[in-house]
Amino acid sequence: MAAALSGRAYQHRPELGFINNISPVLPFKIRKIVPAVNSDILGRLEEIRLRALRPLALGLDTGDVFINEAGAVVADPEKAYLVSQEDVERCLGLVSGSSIYALEEEIKNGFITIPGGHRVGITGKTVLESGRVKTLKYFSGVNIRISREVIGSARPLLPKIIDSEGGTIRHTMIFSPPRCGKTTVLRDAVRMISDGIPELGLPGQAVGLVDERSEIAGCYCGIPQRDVGLRTDVLDGCPKAEGMTMLLRSMGPSVIATDEIGGQEDVRALEEVLNAGVRVIFTVHGSSLEELAARPALNYLFRLGVVECFVQLGRDKRAGVVKGIFDGRKFS
Amino acid sequence: MFKLMGAVVLVAAGGAAGMLVARDYARRPVEIRSLISAVQMLETEIIYAATPLGEALERVACASDGIVAGFFREASRSLNSGDGATAGEAWEKALAGFYRHSSLTAGDSAILKNLGRALGRSGRTDQEKHLKLACEQLKREMASAEEAASKNTRMWNYLGFCGALAAVIILY
Repeated sequence: MAAALSGRAYQHRPELGFINNISPVLPFKIRKIVPAVNSDILGRLEEIRLRALRPLALGLDTGDVFINEAGAVVADPEKAYLVSQEDVERCLGLVSGSSIYALEEEIKNGFITIPGGHRVGITGKTVLESGRVKTLKYFSGVNIRISREVIGSARPLLPKIIDSEGGTIRHTMIFSPPRCGKTTVLRDAVRMISDGIPELGLPGQAVGLVDERSEIAGCYCGIPQRDVGLRTDVLDGCPKAEGMTMLLRSMGPSVIATDEIGGQEDVRALEEVLNAGVRVIFTVHGSSLEELAARPALNYLFRLGVVECFVQLGRDKRAGVVKGIFDGRKFS
Repeated sequence: MFKLMGAVVLVAAGGAAGMLVARDYARRPVEIRSLISAVQMLETEIIYAATPLGEALERVACASDGIVAGFFREASRSLNSGDGATAGEAWEKALAGFYRHSSLTAGDSAILKNLGRALGRSGRTDQEKHLKLACEQLKREMASAEEAASKNTRMWNYLGFCGALAAVIILY
């Protein structure tokens, strides 16, 4: 089992390399169970869910499965490994390096990013101060979300968003419901735009990336753990609106990228960037353009008529499938 | 001749035993003072610099001396070893080794043990309370340790020799 935990054990399966990042944060009993799971299941693993006094669950692309002590999938939850309160607390201790005090802001936001760019979501009892979440205590659940790079996932949409005459990209909005691969596609698009795509007439661009939730670049201690390109500057954990303005003033980007635009503040900052001659590429939650237009902040953005390209993603066996690309000029 | 040699050995042994007890009395306040200083440094690292615990313990070890430095270094090493130990377990393991080689009492050790159970498990405000409480308790122990040292160190230094001499006289 110890050998299975070592990096060497997964050399022949690079897609399972994430286990080397995940293992150190798993409590000892679960650390033995996860690598024993069938490698085909591990290859499709999206989440590991530890809920106190409930069965150990793995989230796959097709749904959840319960796992027993031997690492086998069981249909009956009663036969699955029962996660203890100690498992949850120990996991959180390992995730935080026994330094909850150093991660107060992350805990307030409900997640911690670990080496490898994987995100660990946390639930428990919230402690409020003046009606706002101050921190969490009595931790009861941990969700380890596996972050995977899908190199080439943005390839189908890039020819449509490149402005080859101007040698840059068009202002682009990528939208889809949750878990359809927006962040994965945005990450790959940022990488390709930053590195440049000579065959599509796109030279490498200086990209400013505002990664408020550490999901795109998966930064650990400020260093991107994902390949986000040679010319990408990352502002990690920074609020989007402030981050876009900071990057605009300080880093001279040609393109600014960010995730999950939604609030009035975000749209106002975006407007400032759009008027500064910098190209933007960003994602938004939503299943249709009509739904997006019904949201006040996005409706304002639509009326500005500056977004040139709308990319709709969906999930068809796998996440990140391009469902449609719409010309923005028709919606202004 | 043998009697004389026996008397010398008895006096030397008695004197050494007395000095050992006296040394423990003298060392305890010094160790507690060093611990207070280390806990205060740890408080600064945790509260003001939000340094991750493993690194904070190592920094305190570097700034401390003697066996207190060894205690913090061992706790840091155990926490950073990646074997899945929590801060409380790493601290307790290091404390067990430190306690064996120190002059601390079971009461002093209990203060440190309680601190270890809380270390790194909550936000800064809560950590500050635990660290300040441990400091206050250690300060109280230091006051009693200093009093005990001033009363007992000299007494034990003399008592060992004098007791042994008395035994020699009685045996002669």
